[in-house]
Amino acid sequence: MAGRTYPPVEFPIEAERAAAFARAIGADPEDGVPPTFAAVYSLGVTAPQLFGDPDAAVDFSRLLHAEQEFTWSRHPRAGETVTSRGRVESDVNRRGMRLVSFETQTTDREGQPLCRSKALFVIRS
Amino acid sequence: MPVEGSLRDPVLSVRSVTFTRDQVATYAETSGDHNPIHLDDDFARTVGLPGVIAHGMLQMGIMGTVAAEAAGGPEKLRRLYCRFAGMVVPGDTVTFTAEPAGPGKLELRAVNQRGEAVLTKSVAEIES
Repeated sequence: MAGRTYPPVEFPIEAERAAAFARAIGADPEDGVPPTFAAVYSLGVTAPQLFGDPDAAVDFSRLLHAEQEFTWSRHPRAGETVTSRGRVESDVNRRGMRLVSFETQTTDREGQPLCRSKALFVIRS
Repeated sequence: MPVEGSLRDPVLSVRSVTFTRDQVATYAETSGDHNPIHLDDDFARTVGLPGVIAHGMLQMGIMGTVAAEAAGGPEKLRRLYCRFAGMVVPGDTVTFTAEPAGPGKLELRAVNQRGEAVLTKSVAEIES
C-alpha cells in the first residue's frame, strides 16, 4: 500500500465548529482555531479514505492510533477552505502487527502549505 | 516597557483533567470521530477494551492547549508530536505538563493518577 495517494478533500473551517472543538479540548474559543483542529481538517478528512479503501483492508476494530505529529507552516483561520491530500507513507508488518504510516498535506486556497499530519496506525492481528 | 503576552518567554504550564463520558462524547461530536470504542461500552468490550476509552486525539488536543499556553499563544505552535502510550478511561485524572526545554522547544508530559505516562516522547516546537 506504500505510496498510495487519495483524492484531495476540501474542508471549510467553520467558526462555530472550531469554537465547539476548542471548548471540547479546554481551549478558549476566543483564541481562534485550535492548532489540533488539524485532527479534523487534515487527518480527520483523509483517514476515512484509507479506512474505507478495500485494497488497504484496514480492520478498523483492531486499529490503534499509536503516534501523531502535526507540523504547521501557518494555522488556518475560521472562514478558510482548506484542501487535504492523504498518502500511505509506509505499510510494514512487524512482530505480527501491521504498521501503517499515513501522511496528510493540507494547503490553503492559494496552494500554500498549512499543515502536515503524520499518523502511525497499528493494526493488531 | 510592558511586554506583550505574545512576546513573552515560554513558561511552565500544567493542567489536570478528570475525563468524563460527556467530555469524550463531546469530543466525538465536535471532531467527527464516532468510533464506538469511545461511545459504547459493550462494543468496546467486544474488541478487548475495559469499556469506552478517551480518544488519543482528545488527549493530544488538551496537550496542545497546555502547550499553547506555555508558548504564549496557539499561533506559536509549529510542531506537536505525541505517542499514545496508555489508555485513558472516564474517571481517570491526567496531569498535562508543558515545560520549556531549550530554545523553541517544549517537553510535554501526560501522567495519570497512578503515575503512569499516557503520552510519551511528546514534544512541541514553538516560535521563539
